[in-house]
Amino acid sequence: MTDHEYDICVIGGGAFGTALAHILASRERRVALWVRRPELAEEINREHRNQRYLPGLALCPSLQASSELEALTRSTPILLMAVPSRHFRATARQLGDFLSAEQIVVHATKGIEQQSYQRMSQVLREESCAIKLGVISGPNLANELVRGQPAGALVASRFDEVALALQAQFSGSSLRLYRGRDVIGTELAGAFKNIVALAAGAVDGLDLGDNAKAMLVTRGLSEMARFGVALGAQVMTFGGLAGIGDLMATCASKLSRNHQVGQRLARGESLESTAASMPHIAEGVFTCRAVHAQAQALHLELHIVSAVHAFLFEGWSIEAVLGELLSRPTGEELAMMPSRGA
Amino acid sequence: MKPEHKDIVRAELLQRLLGQHQSSPSSIEATIFDTLYEERKRLEGITDPVRAAKESAFYDALHQRTLRGSEREHLDVLRTLISAFFEEVLGHFDPRVYALATRALPVALSGLLRTLSPIRLLEAIAGESAEGVPPLEAGAPSEPRTSAARARNGLVQQLVLSGQVAQLQALAQRGTVILTPTHSSNLDSVLIGFALHLMQLPPFIYGAGLNLFKSPLVGFFMHRLGAYRVDRRKTATLYKEVLKSYSGLSLEMGYHNLFFPGGTRSRSGMVETRLKLGLLGTGLDAYIHNLIAERARPDVFIVPCTLNYELVLEAETLIRDHLAEHGKSRFIIDDDEFSKPKRIFDFLRRLFALESRIELVIGEPLDPFGHRVDAEGQSMDPRGRPIDRRRYVWTRGRPCHSPQRDREYTRELASSIVSSFHRNTVLQSTQVVSAALFEHLRSLNPELDLYRLLRTGGSSPRIPLIDFYPRLESLLERCNSLAERGGVRLDQTLCQGDPIAVLNTALSHFQGYHERLAVRRVGEQLEHIDRQLMLFYAHRLRAFDLLPSQSWK
Repeated sequence: MTDHEYDICVIGGGAFGTALAHILASRERRVALWVRRPELAEEINREHRNQRYLPGLALCPSLQASSELEALTRSTPILLMAVPSRHFRATARQLGDFLSAEQIVVHATKGIEQQSYQRMSQVLREESCAIKLGVISGPNLANELVRGQPAGALVASRFDEVALALQAQFSGSSLRLYRGRDVIGTELAGAFKNIVALAAGAVDGLDLGDNAKAMLVTRGLSEMARFGVALGAQVMTFGGLAGIGDLMATCASKLSRNHQVGQRLARGESLESTAASMPHIAEGVFTCRAVHAQAQALHLELHIVSAVHAFLFEGWSIEAVLGELLSRPTGEELAMMPSRGA
Repeated sequence: MKPEHKDIVRAELLQRLLGQHQSSPSSIEATIFDTLYEERKRLEGITDPVRAAKESAFYDALHQRTLRGSEREHLDVLRTLISAFFEEVLGHFDPRVYALATRALPVALSGLLRTLSPIRLLEAIAGESAEGVPPLEAGAPSEPRTSAARARNGLVQQLVLSGQVAQLQALAQRGTVILTPTHSSNLDSVLIGFALHLMQLPPFIYGAGLNLFKSPLVGFFMHRLGAYRVDRRKTATLYKEVLKSYSGLSLEMGYHNLFFPGGTRSRSGMVETRLKLGLLGTGLDAYIHNLIAERARPDVFIVPCTLNYELVLEAETLIRDHLAEHGKSRFIIDDDEFSKPKRIFDFLRRLFALESRIELVIGEPLDPFGHRVDAEGQSMDPRGRPIDRRRYVWTRGRPCHSPQRDREYTRELASSIVSSFHRNTVLQSTQVVSAALFEHLRSLNPELDLYRLLRTGGSSPRIPLIDFYPRLESLLERCNSLAERGGVRLDQTLCQGDPIAVLNTALSHFQGYHERLAVRRVGEQLEHIDRQLMLFYAHRLRAFDLLPSQSWK
């Protein structure tokens, strides 16, 4: 008998948070889902659905949600945060009021904080006593997860016990978790791929074809790896589920929000009207600002990031951006790839 | 350490280390052969043939016993090796001498730091030991009665203590303290010994390299401090395990320790950014042992501090070593300025003549997980909320060791110590002037790489002051801005921000101590002479991003 009601609490009732909690509940884990709005908790508990973020999908009936953060988290051994990057610090600070030192905190947020350029694990470290931290990232489109379709993800932590605890929770489920230690690479890959997904959406929006998209994704991966290694990541992480794996799913799938935004913008819609028609703005839009500024500070040339930034925030037309990208001189393919960090 | 504790430590250390190896008999044999191999390799470099023959015979006998022996015999050989290492590390430690030296130490140190004649120094020790020496409070010296007392008061004025002194004193009562200073000079441990006395704290136990004992004068005191001997030429893992276990056990018994977490003096002159985690981890290990044993005072606190000199005694040797080996420094230097008493005296005479202040800044105390601790010993999270730190090491509600987890916790601690080192570094004129001059040379010679610039000095052997002052002024502004944000500290001269005063202070310090001048004024120009020395002092600013990164390449 344990002294806590839940073994794991998912924090965040968006698409990914709900999907993760649903998978755990389906495996009969003692899981709770924290959501910000009491009405959403009510909807999940009574109607077993999350219409706003996962329309038309049925959730596991045993999944229990609540908006009482303290009650759900105070003595729960594992906390899994899946809140958007722009709300992450405030939620982490609130959570910090209840956390105790032995608790494990893992996040599944793919973004970088805008003002500080910090990764989410750094934000958690600043806002709480949590040290046993980790991150989950990979090709995990929420709708597919809820439907029970097989998927894989990386859980990275410097603490073996953290990754092992998460693996144990998800064991036997449709989400296969692999362990890793490169927290920096995993977080940066998850954030960066959203920018490439925006660009991939634009390529689809302009009907430039599969060859063009494959080129974009591959060059995007190269930029991602250079950016990551400059910040201390291991280059091999970008060849795994959190890197190329996530890029393939996000850039190919029409389900990806970032992809959808890129596609609509390329077809002439404004950022404002696109944002207004979606439950929330795609992470890639915010991440692009942060990565662009940080790359400049590091004197890194990231052409795709610069192109997306010019299109989103500098008033460039899609044609001008495309022209600029395609007119750049081609050199050696791997000339700027990092040789260290393997 | 009390005599009865020494016996307990020996017994416990043997039990722990043998226990670690006993789980796998093949590991015992491998450990013995590894140790014998490393030791024989070390003996090849020993110049004293009598000592080498004696030690060789000892190891040969152990080798034969291991080849012939049973598992039981192997265990016995391992026990013999551990005991031999333990006796070597602690064998010279005599509690009675230690007690006497603890009383005599403050006078001895102040004498050492003030007196030019070893005879006067010994007179000072003898005189003041007989009188008994009350501890002093920094900044409030009492009326001196003797020459040694006057000397000591001079030191009190020149060794400036600041930062969290009261908190350190409070925590030393509540638990066991590990003081972790930056390391620039072999004088560091001597000065810290004196500062501990000023703060009315007992001497701290620490592992001092054999080279410290070689210096004729300082070695005299080192033997009699809380120091145990560390032979850095001994590379066998078993020897390092004995050192670590000894340090850990002394912490468990409540003896405060002094670690230099950088491992060795900073060869480059930079503030340390990479720390040795092995020894640092003994603090957490001791804490967990204490929790498991339910000791009354289980807590271990880590107190980072910085020692800041306007001139570094061994600067010339250190920077040359750094550059010669491209960062792969010789780990042991036993032929540097510290081994020459006259150089120590010259150095101190220069510092005193210039009324140069050596600043020791005590940083905020930390717990073994890198969190800030208040004066009551309460750990706080980064938002200032209290933490029950025991829970970090809980598994199913009980404290336990977990080597992988504990290594990561120690990494967190190391990161907090490095950040404290940076915040509490006191920049001084010699460093800022060197950095500004270096930046200027870099901008004049962008085509030269670092080594070529150091060798040739580039196109302009002299820099007009009219060009240099704006460069210095701009760097001073950047320093001030960083200091205002709490990223670094500045000494009195830098705080005033007058580039002329800063340059004059730096030049007067450079004048007359180092064998070559780093830089000198010739009319209205600055002549850069020893650019390696300049680089050493400039490096103090490197961790702070105050200069463009290209300046250092």
